[in-house]
Amino acid sequence: MLFNSINFFIFLPIVFLLYWFVTNKKLVFQNGLLLVSSFFFYACWDWRFLFLLMFSILLDYITGIKMGEAKNKPEKKFWFWLSIIVNVGFLGVFKYYNFFAESLAESLSAIGLQTNFWTLKVILPVGISFYTFHGLSYVIDIYYDKIKPEKNFIDYAVFVSFFPLLVAGPIERATHLLPQIKKERKFDYDQAVNGLRQILWGLFKKVVIADNCAHFANIFFENPAQYSGSSLVLGALFFTFQIYGDFSGYSDIALGTARLFGIDLLRNFAFPYFSRDIAEFWRRWHISLSSWFKDYLYIPLGGSKGGTWMRVRNTFIIFLVSGFWHGANWTFIVWGLLNALYIMPSIIFNTHRNNMEIVAKGRVFPSVKEFLSILFTFGLTVFAWIFFRAESISAALDYIKRIFSKTLFTLPNIKVLADFEIIVCLLIFFISIEWLGRENRYAIEKIFSKSKWIRYSFYYIIILAIIILTGKSQEFIYFQF
Amino acid sequence: MKNRIIFFLGSLMKFIAFTAFVYVVFIIGFGLFMPKVLSKNLSYKRGSNGHLFSRVNEINEYKNVDVLFLGSSHAYRGFDPRIFQKHGLKTFNLGSSAQTPIQTELLLNRYLDKLKPKLVVYEVYPGTFALDGVESALDIISNDENDSETIKMALELNNIKVYNTMIYGFFRDIFHLNKNYKEKIVKKYDTYVKGGFVERNSLYFKGFKSLKNKSDWEFKVEQFDAFKRNLDKLKAMNISYVLVQAPITSQLYKSHTNNEYFDNKMKTYGKYYNFNGKLNLVDSLHFYDEHHLNQKGVELFDDFLLKELPVLNKK
Repeated sequence: MLFNSINFFIFLPIVFLLYWFVTNKKLVFQNGLLLVSSFFFYACWDWRFLFLLMFSILLDYITGIKMGEAKNKPEKKFWFWLSIIVNVGFLGVFKYYNFFAESLAESLSAIGLQTNFWTLKVILPVGISFYTFHGLSYVIDIYYDKIKPEKNFIDYAVFVSFFPLLVAGPIERATHLLPQIKKERKFDYDQAVNGLRQILWGLFKKVVIADNCAHFANIFFENPAQYSGSSLVLGALFFTFQIYGDFSGYSDIALGTARLFGIDLLRNFAFPYFSRDIAEFWRRWHISLSSWFKDYLYIPLGGSKGGTWMRVRNTFIIFLVSGFWHGANWTFIVWGLLNALYIMPSIIFNTHRNNMEIVAKGRVFPSVKEFLSILFTFGLTVFAWIFFRAESISAALDYIKRIFSKTLFTLPNIKVLADFEIIVCLLIFFISIEWLGRENRYAIEKIFSKSKWIRYSFYYIIILAIIILTGKSQEFIYFQF
Repeated sequence: MKNRIIFFLGSLMKFIAFTAFVYVVFIIGFGLFMPKVLSKNLSYKRGSNGHLFSRVNEINEYKNVDVLFLGSSHAYRGFDPRIFQKHGLKTFNLGSSAQTPIQTELLLNRYLDKLKPKLVVYEVYPGTFALDGVESALDIISNDENDSETIKMALELNNIKVYNTMIYGFFRDIFHLNKNYKEKIVKKYDTYVKGGFVERNSLYFKGFKSLKNKSDWEFKVEQFDAFKRNLDKLKAMNISYVLVQAPITSQLYKSHTNNEYFDNKMKTYGKYYNFNGKLNLVDSLHFYDEHHLNQKGVELFDDFLLKELPVLNKK
């Protein structure tokens, strides 16, 4: 069930009404409803994988309790590693087995050894990377005594499988979400309206911005040899907006939906394309994943305690793993490493915490220096996205090679892009609104809040844009991860 | 707390109701006054390619036909009623551009009772089982009278372009804005022939600009579901049917690697004939583009069909 489908907009009001009118007497009923709805939501993709999700929940629930009951450190360690190995094992089999088998076979064939490894014809269970990371954070937190094991199975299961975040995050933490699940929730009118507003903006980002940009980006990425360097730059730019609109749009819908049930999820995006350096970009892009890697990988590896060399090594490791988390393809690994290289100067010279506040806070326009920094960071990001989007490393290199050819200085071929002018106007509108709203949790949270009429007119502009300018429906990119 | 939720729901309902009103007004305004370039998700083209308007307007003149042809442009550009008439068969061609089983279902529900055919020749091109059906839906909405079947189809396709065009189509139907419309019989190279056929003469296929990459058809489950429902409907009305894959250029046919899978699947639904490779057709002589036979090709194909299909010979 996609967030931008009619099915979801039938499902959501039903769950909402049952939640606040039927099960509102007792928290256990409300959580029970959320669990059943979440399982139903997940089963709509492929009911067979529901069993995998249930197993993952059960495994971490039991190992969590066993760790809590362990009489000594080795016993606790046993349950901890059991959970880690099984969780990572599932992820490895479903997501990475074919990649490793094929890569090994290719390496061996390069040295003259012909092998024929079995490859698995399996579909990647939707959301497996996300719910596995939920479970992992929970068991790691218990192991390091940051939290107590959750005894209530329903509460724990809702923490992992809460439908707004189940298939593409944000990746929640037990310390943040479990207390909310255990607490009685009261309907808050302002919170609910805020949620609806965020859903509306998320939908606009997804179906208008991302889906239209996807169409253009696909034209250039599928046949780069046919286009000039300048056209391919345009293709990379469209993908840059596609992936942002797609993923941050999804996150907005997820956060808005959760608010309708009185739950606040972790913020996942904070206007990353307005970042002044790459370190700031990574504090603003897919925040729940970046902070997950920081807390559960970077810090356990020693963080920045061991001096510059340690910081450099650990940064490379987290970017490598982060790239690999996105998918079993060398393109994601190169994308991760490229970002590690980008961030390296600020790690070495200790300038990575220079830009902690949003740019031009309290001002309408940025300074020239800020503007140029944003532009430079954005350019680096666009370049890295080429690897993320390309089918293979060689395809990415061909694309880049073609960009840096003589044809870079010709006019891009926009004749192949139907409605190009409309989409460019939409992008300008989109960037302007994001800029104006950059000091809030999401762009339109407080937009035109002083005048009801202007605010509602603005909503209708967005709704009508969704109706008349929606692009050809594309699946959310992050579902494949 | 309950009061707050009820207030919230009340406000939301008011907002939704007003939005629905604005939506309808906006779509009508857009359809009437906006240039096509701005109407990205509204595609109402009366008298579009394929002469569907003329075809459905002609249906009232037909009833109790011997053979009804269904399918995509391969059908309305492949089965010439004049050739079948020479063999004493009264036929009607209800093909339409890119018609997928979902649209066939709508047309059967609308016209099967009226046409009461003895036999249905259902043209099954694998490509139509791989389409979402939006293009064909827009064609039907724009060129036929809209009714509850249109709403049913729109809900099944669940596409914003279909919804927008449907709303505008209903508006034009209700206010009879199309009553003076007359479709040209001859459009550039195409001539509409009574009985639903579209003839294109004296054009030759010059071949693909570049060699086509081989690929698999990616079939859609919902199209097979609709296809099954269509056949069940025919069975329920005791109408016999044959499934026919009309010839396309050999280059195009060979560019898909799962033709055999499709053939085997079709055989499970009933009598099925795949005419690709069965006739001595030459891409450059008997086709005018990669998909469609020119008139020379149509004559060869229809004669062959009459010989090959015993069910047609009996008549």
